[in-house]
Amino acid sequence: MEFDTTTGTVHAVEGASFTMGEGEAMGLAGESGCGKTTAALALMRLLPSNGKIVGGSIRFRGRDLVRASEITMRRVRWKEISIIFQGAMNSLNPVQRIGRQIAEPIVLHDDIDRDEALKRAGDLLQLVGISRERINDYPHEFSGGMRQRVMIAMALACNPRLVIADEPVTALDVMIQAQILELLERLKRELGLSMILISHDLSVLAETTDKVAIMYAGKIVEEGSTMDVFTDPKHPYSQGLVTAFPDIRGLRELPAAIPGDVPSLISPPEGCVFHPRCRLAFDRCTRAEPGLDSVGPGRRAACFLYPQVTEVPKRPVQMAKP
Amino acid sequence: MIRIRDLKVWFPLRRGLLRELLGGKPQWVRALDGVSFDVKRGELFCLVGESGCGKTTTGKAMLRLVDATEGDILLEMPEEEYRTYEEVSRKRGDTDAERTKHELRRRYSLTWKEMVPWTKRQTLTLAAFILAALLSSILLPAGILGLLTVPFVSSWITLGASLVVGFTLGAVGTMPPTRPHRRTAVVLAALGVAAMLVLPIPAYFFYRARGGADAPAADPGNYLATAWNNDLFGMLLAIVFAPSVAGGVARTAISARQQAEGLAGIRMRNLRRRLQLIFQDPYESLNPKQSVYEIVCEPLQVNRVVTNPEEMSNLVVSALKDAGLRPPEEFMFRFPHELSGGQRQRVSIAAALVLQPDFIVADEPVSMLDVSIRTEILQLMMDLRRTRGITYLFITHDLGLAWVLADRIAVMYLGKIVEIGTVEQVIATPKHPYTQALISVVPSPDPRHRSQRMILKGERPDPVNIPTGCRFHPRCPVAFEKCGWEAHEVAEELQDALAASPLAGVGPLRVVDPLTFVAAGNPADSAAVALRDLVARLREQRRAFFGIASIEPEGGRVLVRLHAGVEPPLIEVQPGNAVACHLVATPKVPEPAVMA
Repeated sequence: MEFDTTTGTVHAVEGASFTMGEGEAMGLAGESGCGKTTAALALMRLLPSNGKIVGGSIRFRGRDLVRASEITMRRVRWKEISIIFQGAMNSLNPVQRIGRQIAEPIVLHDDIDRDEALKRAGDLLQLVGISRERINDYPHEFSGGMRQRVMIAMALACNPRLVIADEPVTALDVMIQAQILELLERLKRELGLSMILISHDLSVLAETTDKVAIMYAGKIVEEGSTMDVFTDPKHPYSQGLVTAFPDIRGLRELPAAIPGDVPSLISPPEGCVFHPRCRLAFDRCTRAEPGLDSVGPGRRAACFLYPQVTEVPKRPVQMAKP
Repeated sequence: MIRIRDLKVWFPLRRGLLRELLGGKPQWVRALDGVSFDVKRGELFCLVGESGCGKTTTGKAMLRLVDATEGDILLEMPEEEYRTYEEVSRKRGDTDAERTKHELRRRYSLTWKEMVPWTKRQTLTLAAFILAALLSSILLPAGILGLLTVPFVSSWITLGASLVVGFTLGAVGTMPPTRPHRRTAVVLAALGVAAMLVLPIPAYFFYRARGGADAPAADPGNYLATAWNNDLFGMLLAIVFAPSVAGGVARTAISARQQAEGLAGIRMRNLRRRLQLIFQDPYESLNPKQSVYEIVCEPLQVNRVVTNPEEMSNLVVSALKDAGLRPPEEFMFRFPHELSGGQRQRVSIAAALVLQPDFIVADEPVSMLDVSIRTEILQLMMDLRRTRGITYLFITHDLGLAWVLADRIAVMYLGKIVEIGTVEQVIATPKHPYTQALISVVPSPDPRHRSQRMILKGERPDPVNIPTGCRFHPRCPVAFEKCGWEAHEVAEELQDALAASPLAGVGPLRVVDPLTFVAAGNPADSAAVALRDLVARLREQRRAFFGIASIEPEGGRVLVRLHAGVEPPLIEVQPGNAVACHLVATPKVPEPAVMA
């Protein structure tokens, strides 16, 4: 997908593909600006007006969401896929009672009246560990962690099958973080939800997801089961990222650094996007772009270090608009 | 290098006008509630805790960016004098000891403020001096004017008189035997107006006494009128002039005396050069309208370290180089929006380095940066520590980071330190239940290290209503009798338990005082027995029941008494490792299970 900006076309996400099964938790990891949020927004067709999906398909339970009409999408959103936006706990309406805010999507999507929807809002609050009596409270009466719970309740309002959580625990204290993650895990187990967790913090994903995709500059560079990717990363970027986090249960040493900065998405480096920062880069990396190919059972990586990885056919070069 | 002793920072809670008028106890947000620790030269001391635990406030108080309510920050106090300080701190109420402590605090403590109550003698001395200042400021210029042939005919003469009035008032009113007071200057300035208004009377009187022929008749009103009639413009100017001079002179004199006598103003400025701060968010802490050069140069200008432009630019260049922005010429004239996150944080580090500090408070310096950039910034900080011997107070919520960086670490909860020690002592073998829980929930990037998480219920209490006894007890998984249970907490818990499994004959609960509550019982005897049984059964799940000392029937109801709570002090359990928990002080209670 692309974004038109005043300084040129940004290829925010390119050639990202992954599959996930029912009841699975998938993690999307990467640094800021790597396209993880954009990928999630595209999944729900919620891209801002200057962004568009240029190609590819999103198959959700047999339906292609890229080609679906806006009316179909409206039915899919919230009823089948719902999203907890980044920093969403600060986006509750401050002058409306919590109960009404949770009930609103229920009234809109399900054909039931307000009283029943409010009753359901109460059930949802209880489900996320907030007492039912607080249904008539205003957002400012809740703490950050509680507001995040309310947002989760809201995302669950119409019994979706897939919940996308964009940085659900960023900006929360570790203890509250643990409480929210536990809640998400419990909900996943009890309701059989599928979940996409987006986070820059690999340690959060390590404890909660079954599989992960690591993104860099708009591309998925590695994908596989959480255990495999985190214990034996194949792509040099994943290797760097995994070791960049200090481990409180590991050795006492400063984590390794990845030199350099994240490249501009307007004019990404030619060849492999990671090659300017890669300590293992060789000739081929500067010329050709590696595809995301299988490097082992159930896992894929985009790196020429693995002989089975093939090149991505070159697409016509798009010049940055002046 | 720096010793923090019993530091408290309380913020007053703002109340509505009505509640303010109705009175009642003033309420405080107790952001820091008695914190003591040492930071040794060259070490990296880490303060960790959840948001709102007071770690940032500690850092700010150390740089005097917030004022301490109580307590001391002792900077480079020699060992011997520190021992004296300890000794006199223990003797409360002893006047000699208080005086010695006062003297020591004045010399070494960053929080020192003149706060000794005024003695009667000091007040009288000040009053006498102000009176003397008023008299001399009237009589001295009046005498001079009397010597002249004609007083108050030229504006120059009038202004000259007002100048003498101002100087005399300012200088005499602030002379050394008096004690400087922040309002002295204002009082003297006000008296300057009075002096100028009264001045014509003695001036004409002296003039007449000398035999001035054209002096008006002996009538004070007449004298005053003459001055105003003869030189209205001069008098008007003088009325502005005299108080300004008096106030200005007094203020300068007072600040000079405060400087000479103790830690005030300029001394703090000298210290600020040595104590610097690196902020959390490089996107917000840099002024978008200033170039990198201006940002790094500003501390030099503000502190008037160098004025020579060439020297200044040399210092900026070397600071930028030290912060890893090479070549500095390339970055110097960029603006913050032209830099990446990591480069911005390097600019803040350069701005901190340019004054050659030896102590840096780093408040979450990498939490806003992408992980792949973090390590480089940390590496830079570590390198500076090695080459320059910089001491760091590192404030972070990230225990993983503390684990790899710190030499020593203090875990804070609700404005107090709960555990302090070397990193190995605190993180590898935590002793306080809060530390244990906190460490258990830190996610690990290695899925093989999935740990048994010890998730605490609830959230941090409001720092306005800090729980009695141990402030952690409401959330503590191993709290017991003397941790400070209060009647309303236990009653709530009991109510909850009763809601789940109602007991026949046990009625509603009512809190009597912080340590007692009553339950309606019908009949009371059997209700008490049933309650005792319930409490004994559910103690392990509902820790609050540990707080119950006795359940007795009394006059048709059941009286429940609680154990009195005690706040656990920080007790050293190993050399250098102190813990504030009753469990470590009382060996008979089993140790909580050590986390895997």
